Amino acid sequence: MRDMMNDIDYAGMHEKLTQELRRGILVLATLSQLKGAKYGYALIEELSNQGLDIDQGTLYPLLRRLEDQGLLESEWNVEGSRPRRYYKLSPTGGKLLQVLTNDWQELVTVMDGLLIEGKE
Amino acid sequence: MELIDRYVREVGRHLPRKNRTDIQAELQSTLVDTLEARVDGEPSLDDEVELLREFGSPRTVAASYWPEGQYLIGPRLFPLFRMVVGIVMIVFVIVQLVLLGIAVVFNQEVLTFLSVLDILSEMVGSVFTAFSIVVIVFAILQRFDVRPETEQEWDPRDLPNIEETDTINRGGTVAEITFSLVLIAILLFLPDKIGVVISPGLEVILNPVIVSYIPVIILSIMLGIAVDVILLWRGRWETGTRLAKIGTNLFGIYVLYLLITSHNAWLAQEGAAGFLSFLGSISEDLFTNEKSTLIISMHAFRLAFIIALIVSVVDTIKRIYQLLKPLFIPPVTIPLPIENGKNDRK
Repeated sequence: MRDMMNDIDYAGMHEKLTQELRRGILVLATLSQLKGAKYGYALIEELSNQGLDIDQGTLYPLLRRLEDQGLLESEWNVEGSRPRRYYKLSPTGGKLLQVLTNDWQELVTVMDGLLIEGKE
Repeated sequence: MELIDRYVREVGRHLPRKNRTDIQAELQSTLVDTLEARVDGEPSLDDEVELLREFGSPRTVAASYWPEGQYLIGPRLFPLFRMVVGIVMIVFVIVQLVLLGIAVVFNQEVLTFLSVLDILSEMVGSVFTAFSIVVIVFAILQRFDVRPETEQEWDPRDLPNIEETDTINRGGTVAEITFSLVLIAILLFLPDKIGVVISPGLEVILNPVIVSYIPVIILSIMLGIAVDVILLWRGRWETGTRLAKIGTNLFGIYVLYLLITSHNAWLAQEGAAGFLSFLGSISEDLFTNEKSTLIISMHAFRLAFIIALIVSVVDTIKRIYQLLKPLFIPPVTIPLPIENGKNDRK
């Protein structure tokens, strides 16, 4: 009985912490795919194909927030089967993407070091 | 697609005004895209239902479009809020008790059982009112993003000393026991000396009311002595002794209540109930007239008992608070603000 209790805790804890990790990388992941203009649904598909699953409920508000912050530009495109809102990096967004990518590489190096040390 | 239309409209009802139609249009087009990608050919009603279910309830979906971190009273303001609420509540209760005391002094009819209940419920009501006012004020502060000053001039040397709230005041307790014993002695052996002394003749004008209550008063004092003795023996406050002290306090409050009401009754009998009205009728033979002297002294006694009652009540409340504090106040957590270069703090 006690082990079962621990398992339930464990799964919940795992999910919570994984979510926190993912929340940290969402912005960078999104920016990285918007060098060319895309609309929301296509972006979700593409990220999913590359292994990152994002909830529609998370991505769309995120896109708007990034646009409000000046990192993305958007416009409606009425060609095609229905009107769609296309997003792409703004010049500021582009610069930030580069900087953040470097930050990310540094972080990865640091984390690798920490995690290997932990095993010792 | 009718379900999708209804869904999109409902989401729109809960969206922030800015960009509402735009968001709705995007949502509409996304939902249709998703539906088409999933279903070959004509989507059925069930397909729509399943899709919308997955997407989430309209309120939830709309909520994610609201700006982040919406608080009535946010984490920055909350510690200050807690402090202010605590202070306001305590001050309020004390003020109410004082007002009650004053009301009793000037109109002895106030202190009947039902009217006390009345007054208590009024007090509770106004405490709620005070609380909501503080909440509203802080909500407004939060709305206008007022920041409390925290990190600036803070000297570690100004930190308060570590308080041992469980330690007893040995000297004080011994003094209390001594004083109580003296009081009992007076009550037992000199009951005919309890009253007012007028200097010219060194005559004592007795307080007629106290005499009949001497047994209860002595009992109350003895209970207090018992608790004090136990306290000295145990060496520090514990739950048991705290409870005992609260109990004797409550008994003492009851005795004071009896004394006050009987003073009220006596004064009413003499037709001198209200303090103000009596003041108005004071004649020049103030201290030579035995009767009016007695009345004045009874008023004085009553006032003294009322003050003692208020002090006792406040002390009891304080002790109850100390008893319950460990149960309700969570351990203090110190938030660590981690700034890593993101300049979204204006």
